[in-house]
Amino acid sequence: MKLEDLYGDVIIDYAKNTKFKKHIEHNHEAHGKNTSCGDEIELEFNLNGDIIKDISYTGHGCIISQASTAMLCEALKGKNINSALNIINEVIKMSRGETFDKKTVDSLEMFEDISTLPMRVKCFSLSWHTAEEKLTEVKENDES
Amino acid sequence: MSLFQKYRNDFPILDKNNIIYFDNAATTLKPKRVVDSFEKYYNNFNSNVHRSSHKLSAESTKIYENSRKNIADFINAESTDEIIFTKGTTEALNLISSSLIRSDLISEDESVLTTTLEHHANFVSWQQYGKIFGKNVHYYKNNNGIFNEDDFIKLIDKKTKVIAFTALTNVTGQVTDIGKIINSARNINKNIIIVIDGAQYVPHFKTDVRKYDIDFIAFSGHKMLGPMGTGVLYGKKNILKKLPPYMFGGEMIDSVTTEDTTFNIIPFKFETGTPDVAGFYGLSEAINYMNETGTDKIHERVKELTMYALEKLKTLDFLDLYGTLDENQHSIVSFNVKDIHPHDVSQFLNDSDGIAIRSGHHCAQPFHKELGIYSSCRASFNFYNTEEEIDTLYDALLKIRRWFK
Repeated sequence: MKLEDLYGDVIIDYAKNTKFKKHIEHNHEAHGKNTSCGDEIELEFNLNGDIIKDISYTGHGCIISQASTAMLCEALKGKNINSALNIINEVIKMSRGETFDKKTVDSLEMFEDISTLPMRVKCFSLSWHTAEEKLTEVKENDES
Repeated sequence: MSLFQKYRNDFPILDKNNIIYFDNAATTLKPKRVVDSFEKYYNNFNSNVHRSSHKLSAESTKIYENSRKNIADFINAESTDEIIFTKGTTEALNLISSSLIRSDLISEDESVLTTTLEHHANFVSWQQYGKIFGKNVHYYKNNNGIFNEDDFIKLIDKKTKVIAFTALTNVTGQVTDIGKIINSARNINKNIIIVIDGAQYVPHFKTDVRKYDIDFIAFSGHKMLGPMGTGVLYGKKNILKKLPPYMFGGEMIDSVTTEDTTFNIIPFKFETGTPDVAGFYGLSEAINYMNETGTDKIHERVKELTMYALEKLKTLDFLDLYGTLDENQHSIVSFNVKDIHPHDVSQFLNDSDGIAIRSGHHCAQPFHKELGIYSSCRASFNFYNTEEEIDTLYDALLKIRRWFK
Protein backbone atom coordinates (compact mmCIF):
# COMPACT_ATOMS: atom_id res chain seq x y z
CA MET A 1 0.00 0.00 0.00
CA LYS A 2 1.50 3.31 -1.05
CA LEU A 3 2.03 6.15 1.38
CA GLU A 4 -0.39 8.33 -0.57
CA ASP A 5 -3.10 5.67 -0.28
CA LEU A 6 -2.62 4.96 3.39
CA TYR A 7 -2.17 8.55 4.46
CA GLY A 8 -4.16 10.30 1.75
CA ASP A 9 -6.09 13.49 2.44
CA VAL A 10 -9.43 11.75 2.88
CA ILE A 11 -8.12 9.42 5.57
CA ILE A 12 -6.28 12.18 7.40
CA ASP A 13 -9.41 14.34 7.22
CA TYR A 14 -11.52 11.58 8.72
CA ALA A 15 -8.95 11.06 11.49
CA LYS A 16 -8.92 14.75 12.37
CA ASN A 17 -12.64 15.38 11.97
CA THR A 18 -14.27 15.46 15.38
CA LYS A 19 -17.86 15.15 14.14
CA PHE A 20 -18.25 11.74 15.76
CA LYS A 21 -15.53 12.08 18.40
CA LYS A 22 -17.57 13.16 21.40
CA HIS A 23 -19.85 11.88 24.12
CA ILE A 24 -23.53 11.54 23.31
CA GLU A 25 -26.61 10.58 25.21
CA HIS A 26 -26.48 6.82 24.90
CA ASN A 27 -28.00 3.59 26.16
CA HIS A 28 -25.20 1.24 25.11
CA GLU A 29 -21.43 1.52 25.17
CA ALA A 30 -18.57 -0.72 24.17
CA HIS A 31 -14.90 -0.69 25.01
CA GLY A 32 -12.17 -2.00 22.73
CA LYS A 33 -8.46 -2.32 23.37
CA ASN A 34 -5.57 -3.16 21.11
CA THR A 35 -3.25 -5.06 23.44
CA SER A 36 -0.22 -4.76 21.20
CA CYS A 37 -0.10 -0.97 21.24
CA GLY A 38 -2.41 0.08 24.09
CA ASP A 39 -4.85 1.93 21.84
CA GLU A 40 -8.33 2.17 23.31
CA ILE A 41 -11.67 3.04 21.82
CA GLU A 42 -15.02 3.70 23.49
CA LEU A 43 -18.13 3.52 21.33
CA GLU A 44 -21.44 4.99 22.46
CA PHE A 45 -24.71 3.93 20.86
CA ASN A 46 -28.08 5.53 21.18
CA LEU A 47 -30.44 2.79 20.08
CA ASN A 48 -34.09 3.33 19.44
CA GLY A 49 -35.53 -0.17 19.15
CA ASP A 50 -33.13 -1.74 16.69
CA ILE A 51 -32.23 1.54 14.96
CA ILE A 52 -28.86 3.16 15.66
CA LYS A 53 -30.20 6.67 16.16
CA ASP A 54 -26.82 8.07 17.09
CA ILE A 55 -23.29 6.81 17.55
CA SER A 56 -20.01 8.36 18.69
CA TYR A 57 -16.54 7.43 19.85
CA THR A 58 -13.80 8.57 22.21
CA GLY A 59 -10.35 7.20 22.93
CA HIS A 60 -6.89 7.35 21.48
CA GLY A 61 -5.18 5.71 18.57
CA CYS A 62 -3.33 6.18 15.33
CA ILE A 63 -4.66 7.84 12.20
CA ILE A 64 -5.77 4.51 10.75
CA SER A 65 -7.80 3.59 13.82
CA GLN A 66 -9.26 7.08 14.24
CA ALA A 67 -10.24 7.42 10.57
CA SER A 68 -11.65 3.92 10.50
CA THR A 69 -13.73 4.60 13.63
CA ALA A 70 -15.08 7.89 12.29
CA MET A 71 -16.09 6.09 9.09
CA LEU A 72 -17.71 3.34 11.14
CA CYS A 73 -19.88 5.92 12.89
CA GLU A 74 -20.82 7.48 9.58
CA ALA A 75 -21.64 4.10 8.04
CA LEU A 76 -23.70 2.78 10.95
CA LYS A 77 -25.67 5.89 11.95
CA GLY A 78 -29.32 5.46 11.10
CA LYS A 79 -29.04 1.77 10.23
CA ASN A 80 -30.87 -1.04 11.96
CA ILE A 81 -28.83 -3.63 13.81
CA ASN A 82 -29.06 -6.27 11.10
CA SER A 83 -27.84 -4.07 8.31
CA ALA A 84 -25.18 -2.60 10.61
CA LEU A 85 -23.92 -6.09 11.35
CA ASN A 86 -23.95 -6.85 7.65
CA ILE A 87 -21.78 -3.80 6.89
CA ILE A 88 -19.41 -4.68 9.73
CA ASN A 89 -19.15 -8.22 8.45
CA GLU A 90 -18.24 -7.14 4.93
CA VAL A 91 -15.72 -4.56 6.17
CA ILE A 92 -14.01 -7.14 8.39
CA LYS A 93 -13.91 -9.57 5.45
CA MET A 94 -12.27 -6.85 3.37
CA SER A 95 -9.68 -6.19 6.08
CA ARG A 96 -8.78 -9.88 6.06
CA GLY A 97 -8.24 -9.90 2.32
CA GLU A 98 -11.33 -12.05 1.71
CA THR A 99 -13.93 -11.46 -0.99
CA PHE A 100 -16.41 -8.80 0.07
CA ASP A 101 -19.40 -6.95 -1.24
CA LYS A 102 -18.17 -3.63 -2.60
CA LYS A 103 -21.58 -2.02 -2.56
CA THR A 104 -22.06 -2.71 1.14
CA VAL A 105 -18.57 -1.53 2.03
CA ASP A 106 -19.01 1.64 -0.02
CA SER A 107 -16.41 4.37 0.60
CA LEU A 108 -14.57 2.19 3.10
CA GLU A 109 -13.17 0.42 0.06
CA MET A 110 -10.32 2.93 0.25
CA PHE A 111 -8.99 0.68 3.03
CA GLU A 112 -9.06 -2.43 0.85
CA ASP A 113 -5.26 -2.82 0.87
CA ILE A 114 -5.02 -2.67 4.66
CA SER A 115 -5.12 -6.48 4.46
CA THR A 116 -1.58 -6.36 3.04
CA LEU A 117 -0.32 -4.72 6.24
CA PRO A 118 -0.75 -7.35 8.96
CA MET A 119 0.46 -5.00 11.70
CA ARG A 120 -2.06 -2.34 10.79
CA VAL A 121 -5.15 -4.53 10.29
CA LYS A 122 -5.61 -4.45 14.06
CA CYS A 123 -5.54 -0.64 14.06
CA PHE A 124 -8.16 -0.59 11.35
CA SER A 125 -10.47 -3.26 12.68
CA LEU A 126 -10.45 -2.52 16.43
CA SER A 127 -13.63 -0.42 16.38
CA TRP A 128 -15.36 -2.77 13.94
CA HIS A 129 -14.80 -5.78 16.18
CA THR A 130 -15.86 -3.71 19.19
CA ALA A 131 -19.09 -2.65 17.48
CA GLU A 132 -19.77 -6.16 16.20
CA GLU A 133 -19.49 -7.64 19.65
CA LYS A 134 -21.80 -5.07 21.23
CA LEU A 135 -24.46 -5.12 18.50
CA THR A 136 -24.49 -8.93 18.44
CA GLU A 137 -25.00 -8.91 22.19
CA VAL A 138 -27.87 -6.41 21.92
CA LYS A 139 -29.45 -8.42 19.13
CA GLU A 140 -29.25 -11.69 21.06
CA ASN A 141 -30.72 -10.07 24.18
CA ASP A 142 -33.61 -8.69 22.15
CA GLU A 143 -34.31 -12.06 20.62
CA SER A 144 -34.23 -13.98 23.90
CA MET B 1 34.12 5.20 4.37
CA SER B 2 33.71 4.37 8.00
CA LEU B 3 35.81 1.56 9.37
CA PHE B 4 32.60 -0.29 10.03
CA GLN B 5 31.09 0.12 6.58
CA LYS B 6 32.97 -2.99 5.43
CA TYR B 7 31.16 -5.11 8.01
CA ARG B 8 27.89 -4.40 6.23
CA ASN B 9 28.94 -6.98 3.64
CA ASP B 10 28.70 -9.63 6.33
CA PHE B 11 24.93 -9.06 6.50
CA PRO B 12 23.38 -10.17 3.19
CA ILE B 13 19.91 -9.09 4.35
CA LEU B 14 21.02 -5.47 3.93
CA ASP B 15 21.73 -6.12 0.26
CA LYS B 16 18.47 -7.86 -0.44
CA ASN B 17 16.28 -5.23 1.18
CA ASN B 18 16.71 -1.58 0.66
CA ILE B 19 16.24 -0.84 4.34
CA ILE B 20 17.69 1.19 7.13
CA TYR B 21 17.52 -1.16 10.05
CA PHE B 22 17.00 0.68 13.33
CA ASP B 23 15.16 -2.10 15.17
CA ASN B 24 18.20 -3.75 16.70
CA ALA B 25 16.80 -3.73 20.23
CA ALA B 26 14.02 -6.03 18.99
CA THR B 27 16.43 -8.31 17.18
CA THR B 28 19.74 -7.71 15.44
CA LEU B 29 20.59 -8.76 11.92
CA LYS B 30 22.59 -11.97 11.61
CA PRO B 31 25.94 -12.24 9.85
CA LYS B 32 26.14 -14.79 7.04
CA ARG B 33 28.44 -17.11 8.98
CA VAL B 34 25.85 -17.43 11.75
CA VAL B 35 23.18 -18.30 9.18
CA ASP B 36 25.54 -20.75 7.49
CA SER B 37 26.16 -22.57 10.74
CA PHE B 38 22.62 -23.96 10.57
CA GLU B 39 23.30 -25.60 7.24
CA LYS B 40 26.62 -26.86 8.48
CA TYR B 41 25.09 -28.35 11.61
CA TYR B 42 22.14 -30.08 9.98
CA ASN B 43 24.16 -31.37 7.01
CA ASN B 44 27.00 -32.75 9.11
CA PHE B 45 26.14 -33.37 12.73
CA ASN B 46 22.38 -33.52 13.26
CA SER B 47 21.60 -35.64 16.29
CA ASN B 48 20.05 -35.46 19.72
CA VAL B 49 22.48 -34.60 22.51
CA HIS B 50 23.51 -36.34 25.74
CA ARG B 51 21.47 -39.42 24.84
CA SER B 52 22.74 -41.88 22.27
CA SER B 53 26.30 -43.10 21.95
CA HIS B 54 26.65 -43.07 18.18
CA LYS B 55 29.07 -40.87 16.28
CA LEU B 56 26.65 -38.09 15.37
CA SER B 57 25.35 -37.87 18.88
CA ALA B 58 28.88 -37.55 20.19
CA GLU B 59 29.63 -34.80 17.65
CA SER B 60 26.42 -32.95 18.45
CA THR B 61 27.01 -33.16 22.17
CA LYS B 62 30.52 -31.84 21.68
CA ILE B 63 29.24 -28.92 19.61
CA TYR B 64 26.52 -28.13 22.14
CA GLU B 65 28.87 -28.21 25.12
CA ASN B 66 31.59 -26.28 23.27
CA SER B 67 29.00 -23.56 22.67
CA ARG B 68 28.30 -23.52 26.39
CA LYS B 69 32.02 -23.09 27.07
CA ASN B 70 32.29 -20.27 24.54
CA ILE B 71 29.36 -18.46 26.13
CA ALA B 72 30.72 -19.02 29.66
CA ASP B 73 34.02 -17.44 28.60
CA PHE B 74 32.24 -14.55 26.90
CA ILE B 75 30.75 -13.40 30.22
CA ASN B 76 33.68 -14.67 32.31
CA ALA B 77 31.67 -17.31 34.15
CA GLU B 78 33.72 -19.61 36.35
CA SER B 79 32.25 -22.81 34.96
CA THR B 80 29.96 -24.15 32.24
CA ASP B 81 27.77 -25.52 35.07
CA GLU B 82 26.58 -21.96 35.47
CA ILE B 83 25.28 -21.56 31.90
CA ILE B 84 21.67 -22.66 31.41
CA PHE B 85 20.36 -22.66 27.86
CA THR B 86 16.86 -21.25 27.35
CA LYS B 87 14.67 -20.05 24.49
CA GLY B 88 15.51 -16.45 25.29
CA THR B 89 15.66 -13.83 28.03
CA THR B 90 11.95 -14.21 28.76
CA GLU B 91 12.26 -17.90 29.50
CA ALA B 92 15.45 -17.29 31.49
CA LEU B 93 13.71 -14.69 33.68
CA ASN B 94 10.66 -16.89 34.12
CA LEU B 95 12.95 -19.73 35.14
CA ILE B 96 14.81 -17.76 37.77
CA SER B 97 11.78 -15.92 39.17
CA SER B 98 9.72 -19.10 39.37
CA SER B 99 12.50 -21.19 40.91
CA LEU B 100 13.61 -18.54 43.40
CA ILE B 101 10.09 -17.76 44.53
CA ARG B 102 9.26 -21.46 44.95
CA SER B 103 12.52 -22.12 46.80
CA ASP B 104 13.06 -21.81 50.53
CA LEU B 105 15.63 -19.09 49.90
CA ILE B 106 12.88 -16.47 50.26
CA SER B 107 10.80 -16.66 53.42
CA GLU B 108 7.33 -15.22 53.80
CA ASP B 109 8.48 -12.08 55.55
CA GLU B 110 11.19 -11.39 52.97
CA SER B 111 10.67 -9.77 49.60
CA VAL B 112 11.71 -9.23 46.01
CA LEU B 113 12.37 -5.71 44.72
CA THR B 114 12.04 -4.93 41.04
CA THR B 115 11.35 -1.74 39.06
CA THR B 116 8.68 -0.22 36.85
CA LEU B 117 11.29 0.26 34.13
CA GLU B 118 11.38 -3.44 33.42
CA HIS B 119 10.38 -5.28 30.32
CA HIS B 120 7.24 -7.30 31.11
CA ALA B 121 9.41 -10.44 31.29
CA ASN B 122 11.16 -9.09 34.38
CA PHE B 123 8.07 -7.49 35.88
CA VAL B 124 5.06 -9.70 35.30
CA SER B 125 6.99 -12.90 36.09
CA TRP B 126 7.91 -11.70 39.62
CA GLN B 127 4.47 -10.17 40.14
CA GLN B 128 2.61 -13.32 39.10
CA TYR B 129 4.84 -15.98 40.70
CA GLY B 130 4.81 -13.81 43.83
CA LYS B 131 1.01 -13.84 43.83
CA ILE B 132 0.69 -17.56 43.14
CA PHE B 133 3.20 -18.63 45.80
CA GLY B 134 2.46 -15.94 48.38
CA LYS B 135 5.78 -14.08 48.30
CA ASN B 136 6.14 -10.29 48.58
CA VAL B 137 7.17 -8.29 45.54
CA HIS B 138 7.90 -4.56 45.80
CA TYR B 139 8.45 -2.06 43.01
CA TYR B 140 10.73 0.91 42.57
CA LYS B 141 8.84 3.53 40.59
CA ASN B 142 10.88 5.51 38.12
CA ASN B 143 10.83 9.27 37.97
CA ASN B 144 9.92 10.60 34.53
CA GLY B 145 11.48 7.66 32.76
CA ILE B 146 14.81 7.87 34.59
CA PHE B 147 16.22 5.04 36.69
CA ASN B 148 17.68 6.71 39.76
CA GLU B 149 20.01 4.14 41.33
CA ASP B 150 20.14 5.98 44.69
CA ASP B 151 16.36 5.95 45.05
CA PHE B 152 16.31 2.27 44.14
CA ILE B 153 19.00 1.48 46.72
CA LYS B 154 17.00 3.34 49.41
CA LEU B 155 14.24 0.74 49.02
CA ILE B 156 16.59 -2.15 49.84
CA ASP B 157 16.55 -3.33 53.44
CA LYS B 158 17.48 -6.43 55.42
CA LYS B 159 14.26 -8.13 54.38
CA THR B 160 14.96 -7.65 50.67
CA LYS B 161 16.09 -11.07 49.50
CA VAL B 162 16.17 -10.51 45.75
CA ILE B 163 16.68 -7.45 43.59
CA ALA B 164 15.78 -7.82 39.92
CA PHE B 165 16.52 -4.99 37.50
CA THR B 166 17.55 -4.20 33.98
CA ALA B 167 21.13 -3.29 33.13
CA LEU B 168 19.98 -1.28 30.11
CA THR B 169 16.34 -0.36 29.70
CA ASN B 170 14.78 -1.37 26.42
CA VAL B 171 12.65 1.78 26.33
CA THR B 172 15.15 4.62 26.73
CA GLY B 173 18.51 2.88 26.51
CA GLN B 174 19.57 4.19 29.93
CA VAL B 175 22.50 2.17 31.24
CA THR B 176 22.19 1.16 34.88
CA ASP B 177 25.16 1.53 37.19
CA ILE B 178 25.10 -2.13 38.13
CA GLY B 179 28.38 -1.98 40.08
CA LYS B 180 27.01 0.71 42.37
CA ILE B 181 23.73 -1.10 42.97
CA ILE B 182 25.37 -4.45 43.66
CA ASN B 183 27.93 -2.98 46.09
CA SER B 184 25.33 -0.99 47.99
CA ALA B 185 22.90 -3.92 48.12
CA ARG B 186 25.57 -6.27 49.47
CA ASN B 187 26.47 -3.71 52.15
CA ILE B 188 22.87 -3.73 53.35
CA ASN B 189 22.34 -7.45 53.04
CA LYS B 190 25.34 -9.65 52.32
CA ASN B 191 23.26 -12.55 51.00
CA ILE B 192 20.96 -10.57 48.76
CA ILE B 193 20.42 -12.27 45.39
CA ILE B 194 21.11 -10.12 42.32
CA VAL B 195 19.08 -10.89 39.18
CA ILE B 196 19.84 -8.82 36.09
CA ASP B 197 17.95 -8.54 32.83
CA GLY B 198 20.87 -8.30 30.44
CA ALA B 199 18.94 -8.59 27.16
CA GLN B 200 20.02 -5.14 25.94
CA TYR B 201 23.23 -4.91 27.97
CA VAL B 202 25.18 -8.06 27.13
CA PRO B 203 25.18 -7.36 23.36
CA HIS B 204 26.84 -3.97 23.91
CA PHE B 205 28.92 -4.08 27.10
CA LYS B 206 31.77 -6.27 28.20
CA THR B 207 29.92 -8.42 30.70
CA ASP B 208 32.00 -9.82 33.52
CA VAL B 209 29.83 -11.71 35.99
CA ARG B 210 32.71 -12.25 38.40
CA LYS B 211 33.96 -8.68 38.42
CA TYR B 212 30.50 -7.37 39.32
CA ASP B 213 29.61 -10.35 41.51
CA ILE B 214 26.37 -10.93 39.62
CA ASP B 215 24.27 -13.87 40.84
CA PHE B 216 22.01 -14.21 37.80
CA ILE B 217 21.92 -12.55 34.42
CA ALA B 218 19.58 -13.37 31.55
CA PHE B 219 20.18 -12.56 27.89
CA SER B 220 19.10 -13.49 24.37
CA GLY B 221 21.13 -14.79 21.46
CA HIS B 222 19.08 -13.07 18.81
CA LYS B 223 19.77 -9.60 20.20
CA MET B 224 23.52 -10.17 19.76
CA LEU B 225 23.78 -11.40 16.15
CA GLY B 226 22.76 -14.95 17.07
CA PRO B 227 19.71 -17.01 16.12
CA MET B 228 16.20 -16.53 17.46
CA GLY B 229 15.11 -19.11 20.01
CA THR B 230 18.39 -19.03 21.93
CA GLY B 231 18.88 -17.50 25.35
CA VAL B 232 20.99 -17.89 28.42
CA LEU B 233 20.57 -17.74 32.14
CA TYR B 234 23.84 -17.40 33.97
CA GLY B 235 23.53 -18.41 37.62
CA LYS B 236 26.01 -18.82 40.45
CA LYS B 237 26.63 -22.48 41.09
CA ASN B 238 26.03 -22.44 44.84
CA ILE B 239 22.58 -20.82 44.43
CA LEU B 240 21.54 -22.88 41.40
CA LYS B 241 22.15 -26.05 43.40
CA LYS B 242 19.60 -24.95 45.99
CA LEU B 243 16.84 -24.14 43.51
CA PRO B 244 14.01 -26.41 42.37
CA PRO B 245 13.77 -27.18 38.63
CA TYR B 246 11.63 -25.01 36.39
CA MET B 247 10.38 -27.61 33.92
CA PHE B 248 10.08 -31.36 34.15
CA GLY B 249 10.77 -33.98 31.51
CA GLY B 250 13.59 -35.91 29.93
CA GLU B 251 17.30 -35.25 30.42
CA MET B 252 16.85 -33.25 33.64
CA ILE B 253 16.31 -36.44 35.65
CA ASP B 254 18.51 -38.44 38.01
CA SER B 255 16.13 -41.20 39.01
CA VAL B 256 12.40 -41.65 38.72
CA THR B 257 10.03 -43.92 40.63
CA THR B 258 6.30 -43.69 41.13
CA GLU B 259 6.96 -42.24 44.58
CA ASP B 260 9.32 -39.45 43.66
CA THR B 261 12.04 -38.17 41.36
CA THR B 262 15.55 -36.88 41.90
CA PHE B 263 17.10 -34.50 39.45
CA ASN B 264 20.20 -34.25 37.31
CA ILE B 265 23.15 -32.05 38.25
CA ILE B 266 23.35 -28.41 37.15
CA PRO B 267 22.99 -27.03 34.53
CA PHE B 268 21.03 -30.03 33.17
CA LYS B 269 18.55 -29.89 36.05
CA PHE B 270 17.16 -26.77 34.35
CA GLU B 271 17.21 -27.99 30.76
CA THR B 272 14.69 -30.48 29.49
CA GLY B 273 13.49 -31.65 26.11
CA THR B 274 15.52 -31.67 22.93
CA PRO B 275 17.47 -28.42 22.80
CA ASP B 276 18.08 -26.18 19.81
CA VAL B 277 21.59 -27.48 19.18
CA ALA B 278 21.95 -25.75 15.81
CA GLY B 279 20.75 -22.52 17.44
CA PHE B 280 23.40 -22.59 20.15
CA TYR B 281 26.00 -23.58 17.57
CA GLY B 282 24.93 -20.42 15.73
CA LEU B 283 25.05 -18.34 18.91
CA SER B 284 28.57 -19.57 19.54
CA GLU B 285 29.46 -18.49 16.00
CA ALA B 286 27.91 -15.06 16.69
CA ILE B 287 30.13 -14.76 19.76
CA ASN B 288 33.18 -15.70 17.67
CA TYR B 289 32.17 -12.99 15.22
CA MET B 290 31.81 -10.40 18.00
CA ASN B 291 35.13 -11.42 19.56
CA GLU B 292 36.91 -11.16 16.21
CA THR B 293 35.34 -7.80 15.45
CA GLY B 294 36.14 -6.66 18.97
CA THR B 295 33.42 -6.18 21.56
CA ASP B 296 35.06 -2.94 22.69
CA LYS B 297 35.09 -1.65 19.10
CA ILE B 298 31.42 -2.56 18.69
CA HIS B 299 30.67 -0.75 21.93
CA GLU B 300 32.50 2.41 20.86
CA ARG B 301 30.90 2.45 17.44
CA VAL B 302 27.39 2.08 18.86
CA LYS B 303 28.16 4.79 21.41
CA GLU B 304 29.16 7.14 18.57
CA LEU B 305 26.01 6.41 16.63
CA THR B 306 23.78 6.84 19.69
CA MET B 307 25.32 10.20 20.55
CA TYR B 308 25.14 11.31 16.93
CA ALA B 309 21.44 10.43 16.76
CA LEU B 310 20.68 12.04 20.12
CA GLU B 311 22.36 15.32 19.25
CA LYS B 312 20.67 15.41 15.87
CA LEU B 313 17.17 14.58 17.11
CA LYS B 314 17.47 17.01 20.03
CA THR B 315 17.43 19.83 17.48
CA LEU B 316 13.92 18.89 16.31
CA ASP B 317 11.55 20.84 18.52
CA PHE B 318 8.51 18.79 17.48
CA LEU B 319 9.95 15.66 19.09
CA ASP B 320 9.54 14.52 22.68
CA LEU B 321 12.66 12.53 23.59
CA TYR B 322 12.74 10.12 26.53
CA GLY B 323 15.57 9.11 28.83
CA THR B 324 18.68 10.73 30.22
CA LEU B 325 19.59 12.16 26.78
CA ASP B 326 23.29 12.02 27.59
CA GLU B 327 26.18 9.55 27.45
CA ASN B 328 24.30 7.30 29.88
CA GLN B 329 22.13 6.29 26.97
CA HIS B 330 23.37 3.50 24.76
CA SER B 331 22.12 1.98 21.50
CA ILE B 332 18.54 3.26 21.91
CA VAL B 333 16.81 6.58 21.26
CA SER B 334 13.08 6.80 22.00
CA PHE B 335 10.78 9.62 21.01
CA ASN B 336 7.36 10.76 19.97
CA VAL B 337 6.49 13.16 17.18
CA LYS B 338 4.11 15.63 18.82
CA ASP B 339 0.48 14.94 17.95
CA ILE B 340 1.30 11.97 15.72
CA HIS B 341 0.74 8.40 16.84
CA PRO B 342 3.89 6.22 16.92
CA HIS B 343 2.28 3.66 14.60
CA ASP B 344 1.76 6.33 11.98
CA VAL B 345 5.33 7.54 12.44
CA SER B 346 6.83 4.09 12.01
CA GLN B 347 4.57 3.30 9.06
CA PHE B 348 5.55 6.57 7.39
CA LEU B 349 9.27 6.02 7.98
CA ASN B 350 8.97 2.58 6.44
CA ASP B 351 6.93 3.68 3.44
CA SER B 352 8.86 6.86 2.70
CA ASP B 353 12.47 5.84 3.28
CA GLY B 354 12.56 2.16 4.21
CA ILE B 355 13.46 2.95 7.81
CA ALA B 356 12.65 0.19 10.28
CA ILE B 357 11.94 1.35 13.82
CA ARG B 358 9.77 -0.04 16.59
CA SER B 359 6.56 1.59 17.73
CA GLY B 360 4.35 0.61 20.62
CA HIS B 361 4.84 0.10 24.34
CA HIS B 362 7.92 -2.14 23.85
CA CYS B 363 6.51 -4.64 26.37
CA ALA B 364 6.92 -2.05 29.12
CA GLN B 365 3.48 -0.71 29.98
CA PRO B 366 4.25 0.45 33.56
CA PHE B 367 7.20 2.44 32.19
CA HIS B 368 5.06 4.20 29.59
CA LYS B 369 2.34 4.85 32.12
CA GLU B 370 4.78 6.71 34.33
CA LEU B 371 5.96 8.75 31.38
CA GLY B 372 2.32 9.69 30.86
CA ILE B 373 2.23 8.22 27.35
CA TYR B 374 0.70 5.11 25.83
CA SER B 375 3.46 4.28 23.42
CA SER B 376 6.57 5.60 21.74
CA CYS B 377 8.89 5.24 18.75
CA ARG B 378 12.24 3.56 19.27
CA ALA B 379 15.26 3.70 17.02
CA SER B 380 17.98 1.28 18.09
CA PHE B 381 21.43 0.95 16.57
CA ASN B 382 24.16 -1.55 15.98
CA PHE B 383 27.66 -1.26 14.59
CA TYR B 384 26.59 -1.83 10.98
CA ASN B 385 24.47 1.33 11.02
CA THR B 386 25.85 4.59 9.70
CA GLU B 387 25.63 8.33 10.32
CA GLU B 388 24.13 8.71 6.83
CA GLU B 389 21.26 6.45 7.85
CA ILE B 390 20.62 8.64 10.89
CA ASP B 391 20.62 11.69 8.61
CA THR B 392 17.93 9.99 6.53
CA LEU B 393 15.88 9.41 9.67
CA TYR B 394 16.25 13.07 10.57
CA ASP B 395 15.09 14.19 7.12
CA ALA B 396 12.19 11.73 7.16
CA LEU B 397 10.99 13.08 10.51
CA LEU B 398 10.87 16.56 8.97
CA LYS B 399 8.84 15.09 6.10
CA ILE B 400 6.38 13.49 8.54
CA ARG B 401 5.84 16.79 10.23
CA ARG B 402 4.99 18.42 6.91
CA TRP B 403 2.80 15.55 5.68
CA PHE B 404 0.50 15.38 8.68
CA LYS B 405 0.32 19.09 9.37
